[in-house]
Order: sequence, then structure tokens, then C-alpha cells
Amino acid sequence: MSNLAVSADKALTPRDYKSDLAPIWCPGCGDFGVLSAMFKAMSVCNLDPVKTVIISGIGCSSRLPGFVATYGFHGVHGRGLPIATGIKCARPDLNVIVVGGDGDGYSIGGGHLPHIARRNPDITYLVMNNNTYGLTKGQVSPTSMVPLASMEARIDPKRWKTTPYGSTEDPINPVALAVAMDCSFVARGFSYKPNQLADLLVEAMRHRGFSLVDVFSPCPTFNQDQTDEFYKRTTYDIPMDHDPTDRLKAFELASNMESYPLGILYQRPDKASILDEQEALRTRFQGHGSLSELISRFS
Amino acid sequence: MNQETSTSAAATDVVIRLVGESGEGTVTLGDVMVEMFTQMGLDIYTFQTFPAEIKGGTVMYQIRARSGTTLSPGDSVQILVALNKAGFSLFGTGLADGSILLYNSDVFSPPPDPNRVDISLPVTTLAREQKEAVRHEISGEALKRLPAPINTVGLGALMTLVNAPLEPAEAYLNKVFGRKGEAVVRMNISALRIGAEHVRAQIGEHRLPSVFPKPILAPRMMVTGNQMTSIGSLAAGLQFYAGYPITPATEIMEFLARELPAFGGTLVQAEDEIAALAMCIGAANAGAKAMTATSGPGLSLMAELLNLAGQAEIPVVVIDVQRGGASTGLPTKASQGDLNLAIYGMHNESPRIVIGSTSVEDAFWTAIEAMNLAEEYQVPVILLSDQSLATRRSTVPPPEISNISITNRLLPSEDELGPDYHRYRDTPNGISPMALPGMIGGMYTTTGIEHNEKGDPAYTPENATKMKAKRFRKMDAVIEKHGERLVRHWGVGGDADIGIIAYGSLEGIVREATQRALDDGINVAHLHLRLLQPFPTEVVQQFAARCRTLLVPEMTWSGQLANWILINTGLNVERLTKDDGIPFRPSQVYARIRSLYDQITGGASHE
Repeated sequence: MSNLAVSADKALTPRDYKSDLAPIWCPGCGDFGVLSAMFKAMSVCNLDPVKTVIISGIGCSSRLPGFVATYGFHGVHGRGLPIATGIKCARPDLNVIVVGGDGDGYSIGGGHLPHIARRNPDITYLVMNNNTYGLTKGQVSPTSMVPLASMEARIDPKRWKTTPYGSTEDPINPVALAVAMDCSFVARGFSYKPNQLADLLVEAMRHRGFSLVDVFSPCPTFNQDQTDEFYKRTTYDIPMDHDPTDRLKAFELASNMESYPLGILYQRPDKASILDEQEALRTRFQGHGSLSELISRFS
Repeated sequence: MNQETSTSAAATDVVIRLVGESGEGTVTLGDVMVEMFTQMGLDIYTFQTFPAEIKGGTVMYQIRARSGTTLSPGDSVQILVALNKAGFSLFGTGLADGSILLYNSDVFSPPPDPNRVDISLPVTTLAREQKEAVRHEISGEALKRLPAPINTVGLGALMTLVNAPLEPAEAYLNKVFGRKGEAVVRMNISALRIGAEHVRAQIGEHRLPSVFPKPILAPRMMVTGNQMTSIGSLAAGLQFYAGYPITPATEIMEFLARELPAFGGTLVQAEDEIAALAMCIGAANAGAKAMTATSGPGLSLMAELLNLAGQAEIPVVVIDVQRGGASTGLPTKASQGDLNLAIYGMHNESPRIVIGSTSVEDAFWTAIEAMNLAEEYQVPVILLSDQSLATRRSTVPPPEISNISITNRLLPSEDELGPDYHRYRDTPNGISPMALPGMIGGMYTTTGIEHNEKGDPAYTPENATKMKAKRFRKMDAVIEKHGERLVRHWGVGGDADIGIIAYGSLEGIVREATQRALDDGINVAHLHLRLLQPFPTEVVQQFAARCRTLLVPEMTWSGQLANWILINTGLNVERLTKDDGIPFRPSQVYARIRSLYDQITGGASHE
């Protein structure tokens, strides 16, 4: 979002973005940290709440729009990105942010990701990745790391209800996918590092084009494997000397499945955007639209 | 109300059917004939069926040229032009007695038929000879690219078969080929004449189904239904379109891709139909008038999002250009089989409006109607069209722009915005002022979750009942305000022996059948539904009260419209169904009217 709509009258504090609805998340949910990082990032950017729309799909994390004092759209499972695309194309003047979970964004809605990366609208997409389906109470998600089990030895069925015998399906790597899709801004954060996450979100919002921020946001209720402790152990900050415009380096970093780099992996500031094309078309043909001319063309 | 039924000597009513290999000029020849007839001041109604493949398969192009309003593709074919054998085998039936077959004798010979006059035309040979004659005058490259004038030979033959002068065709060839040089023009003129001569030599005493040019008194458009739908949507103020290519709806997106920017609008080709409707819903929620167009398979994918639009009260238009089915079915052919999907295709229940466009001319007005209704009631509107009216070209009077009226959604006033603004305020007609992003004091979260008036999630049974009632109250309001307006009455105004209820592209066909029955002294009334959901129950019941028997013709297998009428009114109707990809002929509807009439009058014949 290169041209953010900002509040004209005053500098807004993180509290100013808090709605009067209380989050419905379980105690200890990673999404609380994400929400406060968002409040902070919005305050840093001083986003005009009235000209900001937060869109989501369905899932625990997708309830977030209701907790923020902006316009919101809690849509349909997996369809946050195309809904947001419609909003942004129709109203380029608005700040458009999409939030959701890993199931919402990488499974049912996964087919939209390459296309929004191609179109590259000024939209920020924040995925609260908890490696499970929380709202349906603990099934494998596309980012789940389910242990392999032999046919004899069942794994804990309370944890992985639809894969009680384990799974051979590899988890997908969303940031590596996004780099491969040439998504013009790819970052990863961790809900237990809210200051870093807020910084990443600020960068994402200021990025001109589509930005994906994948956030490890552990589910304490249904995922006892990828916990906050797990991610504290396995994540590290991207070295300062990483050049995010180097796509191959970015892909190398993103491909690490042993430990997980946090920060901006990839950025391509010069990628064309569908919004510019649409604006150019409207400008080029402005005032040419005439109903009577159109009718007479067929006469 | 009664159509023109002039029987003067100068009246024209000719039905020509062209068949040939797809991609080999049949459509071009048809288009040129249509152009010729239009220049002669005749009214045109075309009907085409395409193979589902890009190249190969048989294409059929039927043209009815008439002096006066043309309501249907006509009944029996007077002239069949068969450019290949497969086309003749597939479409060689349904010819009138004494009809003429013009066949490409370079590729086949038809078995003789005493009811038919066969005229041979070695069209490829003749065309090649004409090209040979000018070969030495044209340079190598241009010669290579120059096709033999097969269509022009056909044109000359056809113009002669309908007793038309060749001058307009010659003028047309001059215009089209002028910039390619004198030799090319000469080749085409000579091809035209050789085609004409070849036919003239074989006609003998046979009486030709002649066309009579008439003066063009008023401007007319030559358009397809899809084009009219697109122009109508621009007239309605369309600002955002997202769609995914699907036959036979794609033409709408292609048209709007060219035209929408000039009207200040935006178009996105989505990655699938789900994304297409999701984008439209997003754009509409942000204030734009938004629309998508698809066909049955795409509409199925949109079902979930249609409920979001119903539940979250978002105005959006979805055009379904129906095609034969199910599954991939008959993707290039006509059907009305998506009525059930349009009406019932949802999980649980949310309000929606379903309307149907009835003709090429009407497609313009129904597109405006759809957008207006969506905006007025903040609901999804499904506009049902179908392949037969969407892809055919017809001459129609241009719409009178001053008759257009536009409805915009209800926005909150300054006073309504503020801490007490409730997005889903419970109002007497169920319509709540809709705040748009950017409005100070209007912030809310759109949601498909059951919510209270403010828009916050709320799950109590009391709230669920209250908010569902609020949303469905809008459907009562639709009927109250528009129920009587969104039907058309044809045929007798008083008591009728037979009452016909239909929707969509059957309007002209049923009108023509009705007219024939009226001419025979059978009292037929025809109620044509434009609004299908919410259902105009009272209007239909009042209509039924003045009819002895009800007949519902429709292009479905199971009688979807008849069932829908039964559910809403308790009326059991006679069904006339057919879902084979081809529209009814007026004679098929007439035959059923006649047999029903004979039944209720105890077999007494009127003739």
C-alpha cells in the first residue's frame, strides 16, 4: 500500500483501533499477539479507520475483523482474497487488509494465492498459521506437521483426529510457495515476537503491491506439537545482510524446513499492479462512454 | 397486442437454414445473408447451434426473414443450404413440403425426395474457377492468402433462391473487397453471378419463397442477446465486472472488457467462478454496482457466495446464460434447466431475486431491472438468459433511452450515521440504509454469521428469527411493488380456453403459437413471467381463474417451472417439456394447444 489513507485529524494510538467486541479466542491463543501487533502497525501507519477494510474468511483467526474498529468483512471460507480484490479494484482509495488462517488461505483458498500474486494489488495478507484446523477442533491443515506412524502404532488421536495413523502428506511451505509465485512481498513473523511482527506489518502495508505475511500463531488447544516453545526453539531472525530483492536467496531462505527464518524474505518493489492498469484504462477512455453511441454502433 | 399478420403479396416470411462444417464459412455466409436481408428492411431472427469443438463438427445457422415483427425462428425450413453431408444428415429434417435443398454437389448427392426440390451447386469447383480466372492479375503472396470465393458463390445462389435482386449483394462485395483491389472485387462479383446463374438454370417452374424489400422507416439494431444484456448493464450503471469464461456467457465479458473502462468501470478476469462472484461481492460491498455472468456449471460454484450476499445483504447481479446439461452436457445449446438451481441452489435459506430475460430486445431492459432490484433490495439477483436468445442475432428497435429509470441503494443520511448507526436496522420493508467504507460513523463488519441489527454476531433464537424475518420481508416488498409489473400479458384479456404460463426465451415462440390459435378461434391467454422468485402468486392465481386449462411449456426435463408454479399456487398444470438443446417451434406449442382444446371441447374441431 503505497498510498495509505491516513487519519487526517490526529495521531491514532493502538487503542484507537480496538473495537468494543472482545476476542473469542482461547486463553493463550497466538492470535492475541497478532491482533496487538496489528493495532500497533495500524497506529504506526496512522491508518484512517474509516477508509480501512479488514477482510477475512472463516476460522478462529478470521474473526479478527470484528475486533478492529474499521470497516470489516467476515466472508466465506477461503474467499478473503477475491473479496478483497473486488473491494480494492472498486475502491482503490481504501486500505485493504486480509486476515485468515492456514486452512483458509492455503487449503480451501489456496487457489487464489497465485492469482493475487499475479495481479499484485495493494493488499496486505496476514495469515495466522497455527498448523491445524482450530475452529473444527483439531484436524490436519496444509501446514500441519503430523508425525509419521507405522500401521501398528497409532499416534495421539486427540491431536490429529482425521489422521489417527499418521500422515505421509508433506506440509506445504507457504513462504517458499509465495516466493515461487513471485508474490511481491513475502515475510514471516511469530506472534510471540509482536514488535518484530508489527514492524513487518508496517513494511507490508507500506509495500506497493500484494504482500503476504505468514505468522506462526500457535494454537494451545489443538496443537501440542507446534507450540510457542517449539517456534521459539526453531525460528531465527533473517540476517541483516540478506537482500530481499534477491529471489534465489529468498527462495533458499524460505526453503529451510529445519529452522524458520523470520523477517522479510522477498520483496520486488517494481512489479506491475492490476490497479495501475485499471486506472490507466479508465483515464485513457474517460468520458468516451456513451450509451447512445453504443446503441447506434449496432444500428 | 396482436402481432402483425399481413398476408399481402409483398409480405415476406422466409426460413433459411445453412449447415456445414464448423470453421469453414457457414457462419460467414449466414452473416452476409442477414446483412442483405437487413438492408432490405426485413426483420431478422436467427438461431444457431454450434458444435462444442473449435474446429470440426456441424454448425447450423437458421435465418428467418420477415416483414414485420419476428417472434420465433419459425416452423419449417423453406430453403436448406447443405455445404456438407454430415450437416444434411443432421439437419435435413423439418423441411416444409416443396422446400428447396441447395447442396454442395462437390462433396455429396442427397437421396431424392418427392417433397423437395434439389438444386446442385458445385460450390468449391465454381469458386476455384473464379479464382483461376484472376490468378495472373494478383501477386504471389496476396494470391496465396486469397481464399476461393466459396461464400460468394453461395450468396449468389441464395439471393436467387429467394428471388432477390443481386444489386445489394454487389454493392456489399464492392464495399467489403474494395480495398483488396479491383481484381478481387471482380472475382467476387463473377462468383456471385455464377452462383446465381447456376441456380436459375435449375429452378424451372418451381415457385420460390420470395423476399420483398421494404423501406426502412425506423432505425433498428442488429444485435445478439448477450450484447443487449451487456449494453443494458452499462445503462444500469455497472461499475464492476468480474467473470470467468464459460460458453455461452463469455461474450458478455468480452464485450464489457472493451466497453466498461469508457464508462468508468473496472473488469477483472477471475481465476474461477467462485473468485468472480467473491470479487463482485467485495466491489458491491464497497459501493460499486457489480455483476458477473456465467452458465449453469459456474452458477453451481457460486452457490455458497450467493447465500453470503443474501445473508449479508449485498446487492449483486449474476447472469446465468443457461445451456444444455447436466455437467458439461450440451454446452453450445439451449435449455432452461437452471431454474431449480437459481431458485433453490443454496444452503439453508436466504433471500434472492430471480428474473428472466425474454428476447433480444428485452435483454436490455431486464439487465437494468436486475441491477435496479439488486440495489433496491440489497440482495443477489440471478438473471436467467439462455443460449438461444444470448447468441442469436436479431433486428430490434433500439431502446428508448429516456425510458430508463435507475434505482440506487439506500444509503444512510448524515443523521443516521454515528454511534447509533445500525447497518441492519429492522425496518418495515426490511431494507436498511447501507453504509459504505469511507463514511464516518458507519463502521461495521459485514458478516455471513447471524448478526444483530448492528452487525455483530448474535446467536439467540429470538435474534435469528427476527433477522431472518427482516431479510425475507424484503421479498414481500418486491412482490408488493413489482409483482404485477414484472409479468406480460398476451393473447385474450378475458376468459380463455387455454392459459399458457412461460418464462424466458419462450415468449416469442408462445406468442406466435397463441396468435395461430387465436386465428383458429381458440381463446388463448399467455402470461409471461419475468419475475420468478419471489413468485408473483396472486398474479398467477388471477390469471388461472380466467383460464379453463393451464399449459406450461418449458425447456426442462422434469417441468421445473410447472413444479415451481405448483408449489407456490397449488395449481396443477399441463406440462410441455423438452430439453434436447433446441428451442420449441411455434408449431409444437400450437399442436399442444390444439390437442388440449380438443380435449376440453370434447374433440369438437374448429376447422
